[in-house]
Order: sequence, then structure tokens, then C-alpha cells
Amino acid sequence: MRHLILGFTAGTIISLIFYYLFQISGEPLKLLILFNFLFVSALFPLNGSLRRKLVLLLAGNFIGFLWNNILYLFAFSAAEHFGVIFSTLFLILSPFLNLFWIVSFCSISLTLISPSKSKRGAITNAY
Amino acid sequence: MLIEFLEVSFIFLTFLMIAYLIRHYLFTLTVLRNSKKDKTEGIAQNKAYTPKVSILIPARNEEHVIERLLHRITELTYSKDKLQVIVIDDASEDATGKIAEQYSKDYEYITVVKRNREEGGRGKASALNAGMQHAKGEIILCFDADYYPQKNIVEKLVKEFIDPKVGAVQGRVVVLNEPQNIVTRLVALERIGGYRVDQEARDKLGLVTQFGGTVGGFRRSLLESLGGWDETILAEDTDLTFRVYLAGYRVKYVADAECYEEAVENWRAYWKQRYRWAKGHMQCAFKHSLSVLKSKNLRLVEKIDGLLLLNVYFMPVLILFSWIVGVPLFFLKFSQWIPAFWTVAVISLYSSVGNFAPFYEVAVGAYIDGRTRAQWLIPLLIFTFLYNIPICTKALLDLLISKLRGKIDNHWEKTPHTGNGNCYIMNHAKTIKR
Repeated sequence: MRHLILGFTAGTIISLIFYYLFQISGEPLKLLILFNFLFVSALFPLNGSLRRKLVLLLAGNFIGFLWNNILYLFAFSAAEHFGVIFSTLFLILSPFLNLFWIVSFCSISLTLISPSKSKRGAITNAY
Repeated sequence: MLIEFLEVSFIFLTFLMIAYLIRHYLFTLTVLRNSKKDKTEGIAQNKAYTPKVSILIPARNEEHVIERLLHRITELTYSKDKLQVIVIDDASEDATGKIAEQYSKDYEYITVVKRNREEGGRGKASALNAGMQHAKGEIILCFDADYYPQKNIVEKLVKEFIDPKVGAVQGRVVVLNEPQNIVTRLVALERIGGYRVDQEARDKLGLVTQFGGTVGGFRRSLLESLGGWDETILAEDTDLTFRVYLAGYRVKYVADAECYEEAVENWRAYWKQRYRWAKGHMQCAFKHSLSVLKSKNLRLVEKIDGLLLLNVYFMPVLILFSWIVGVPLFFLKFSQWIPAFWTVAVISLYSSVGNFAPFYEVAVGAYIDGRTRAQWLIPLLIFTFLYNIPICTKALLDLLISKLRGKIDNHWEKTPHTGNGNCYIMNHAKTIKR
């Protein structure tokens, strides 16, 4: 519970820093808030070092920030070139693309805070 | 007017998705909290309870896997004097019957019920009912032919029946052939979400634990009073689960009673299996939703959870519907609500990946199991989720069409088993005699 509270506090502070420091708003800001919420909810209740979780949370925010910038730069350039069809397609698929990195980052982070034993050994326990 | 209707529908669907997400998040936290507790203490306490047990094994064209299971049955640690094993050869056209007959000759507690072409091939429920007529045990356990149980699984399952309120038990299913390919790996992840988290949490929270059709069993007296398996329902396991709860009993999940299954190996087999599950589940939703609401044997939380469980296969269809509805609403900008809800809908959509378990649930299940490498595959569950959308949509449409026509189409599409899982069982080739 302590980790959860600290995680949500850290997530809020990081979002505010990004908001004021990098002047992000709209969709990219919403996605960072969403990432912080999902990441803290899913990973902070687990056992593991709090420091590592906080570092991963911060790293996730930076990656998300970069991802958004690159994706939107690409999208604006492509929209100029391909026109309204691309814009429409991008609008429908962009939340999907954004969530794809969020889930991927959460999965990778999980492997970094998980114990390393493997359940595949269980089949030998059957004997 | 149409726009308002679409808008209200969209908002309703979004809230429904959020309800499922919250439910699964609570499940995840519950399992995390309970993951450290010792689960072995119960066996020692209830060791004295050793009733007569009948194991039913329905088998139709299972020559690649049946021997593996029957050999394993001979290794079970449960007293053979109190064990009856009934193999139901459901009009097999391969060597399944011959293999089972051979085991029947060698071991007196194994018997074979042969069904001819007229009787057989009508689905698992029909085969189980045929086997049930020959069962003599107080407890009836069921195993599918492609399963491979732990040696002491019967003790682990049966001990729960000492509680008179327990009408049925369910063990944990683990994928045997997980390393085979990407499909089996993704199915394994789904199973982790479904059993390691979903089932366990429902059991701990006193909600509606599901009997999964195999690796589990029933009190014989209860099963008889319920009239056995319903042959008109494709998801006979879910149907029986709800009949057990409506009768005032409950299903107990036994997490440490593990059994290894041969998962579907390709997308075509995945489609057939999930189509059958989806259609069967929807049949159960139509059959039981009202009874669940009216039941006096269920608490309010059980009713809510029961309804969410019954209707879970409608979710991919509803997500597709909300997607279709959301796009015009978003572009036409009729409402200030839609952009925000659009985001939420997509979160819900993506979070519901896999076999209807959100990604964090699967992730935490894998974490508790220590499955570090499997966690890397979690983002790929998006493909199984997207694949489930046409599967469930087709199942619903077929069901509605058959209802409109007044014809019940319950064709049982059997999942083929190739025996590729055999190589993952240590020393399998050495231990099997023939």
C-alpha cells in the first residue's frame, strides 16, 4: 500500500514536471497520465525495490515523451504528404499505437522487478 | 435522436468495460495478497477423507494422447481400491478404443464404455452422461484425454468435498506444450490469467468459481439431482457451474492441483475451440442470467460476478460495436463527452486483451509464477484479443439466427490433439510400455 501511495504521488509529480517543463498538453499529456496510472496500479503493488520501480516509472515517462514526439512528427509529415486519408487512419489507430508501447514497457519493467525462478520447472514436480 | 441513442450506448458500453477492468484489478490485488500463503496445509488435515472416486475420460479420436493419460492414471497415488476409471470411447475412428481396451485388460479399475456411430459424436456432455451411468463413486472427476495430471491430484481435489457446501471442485490447468510455437505460448499466458489470477481470486473472494469441464469433479449425489450434463449446451461446464450455484452449493478452486493440457497449436484450431466456448457461454448467458438475478441462494456480489462471468463472451462483440459507434461520434463531434470516452474505450479495449483478462492480470499471474520470459510476450496478446472479436461476433450471430429459425445447432467441433506435447514430459518414451 505504501508503494502504491508513493507511486501515485511520484506519477503526479512527474506529470506536472513534464507539463511545466516541456509544455506538453492534449493527447500526449493524457497518455503520460494514463501511463503513470496503469504503471503504478499494475507494478507498484508487487514485491521489489521501490527505488527500482521509481526509476522505471521515470524512464517510462521519458520514453513516452520521446515516443509521442517522434510519432506526432511522423504523423504530421505523413499527413502533409498523404492527406486526409492518413489523418483519419492515424486518428483511429493512434490510441492503439500509444497503448502498445505502454503495455510493452510495463511487461519489460515487470521482468526487471520479477524473481527469476521459472514455473516451467513445474512439470518435473508432477513426478 | 439517433445520435443521442448512439451516444448513450457508447457511454453505457464504456462503463461496462470499466466495470470489468475494476473487477479484474480487484482480482489481481487479491491474488497478490494471497500469493504467499501456504497452500499445502489442507492436505494433511483432510488425509483421512478418501471416498470412492470415479474418473470419467471422454475420448473421441484421441490415439495420440490417450495412452499418455492412461499410463499416468496407473501412476496415481490414490488407493486403487477406491478408484474407478471410465474411458468413454465416443465412436472413435482411430486406435483410441484399442488402446483403452488394452489398459482395461491390464488394470481392473479401468473400464471402457464403447459408443457406436449412432450414439457417439454428439459432444462431450453426451459422452459424459453415458459414462456417468456406469460410475459408482461418491465423487465424479473428469479429465480430457489430452491432459496429464499430477500423481496426487485426486487427493488434492477430493479433500475439498469434506465441506458439505462444496458441490464441485476445479484444479489448475497449465499448458504442457507451451514452447511449441507462438499460439501455444499465448494460450499459456491466457491460462495464467484465467487460472492463476481469475479463478483463485474468485475462490478467495467467495464469488462464482468456474468449473472448467476438466481437471475437476462433482459430488455424485448433486450431479444426479441436477440431471447430469446438459447436452443442448456447448459450454456444458459453465452451465453446470451455474446450476451448482443456483442449487445452493459452490465450486472450490484448488490451485495446487495442477494438470497439464495440450493447447491448440494453430490459429485455425484456436478459432474452432474459442467459437465453441463463445457460443456455449452465450447459450448459458441466455439460459441463466435471469435465474442468477432471482436466486435466493446467491449473495449480491455473487449475482454481480455471476452476471459478469456469464456475459464475458459478449464483451469482444460489444467492444467492436462501441468502436463502430465511437468513430462517427468522434468525427462528427456531436458531443463534448466523446473524445474523453474514446480514450477510455480504447484503454478498456486494449486492457481486455487475451482470454478476457486484462494485461495487468496476466502480467501479475506470470509474476507470481516467476515466468519472467513469458512476460515479454504480453503485448502480443493484442492479437488473440483482436482474433476473438470475429470469433465471438460470429458465435453470437449464429446463435441468434438459430434462435430465430427455431433450430438448435449444437454441432460439437472437436479440438484435434496431435500428441506434440508428449516430448515435454520427461522420460515419456521410457515409461510407456507399449
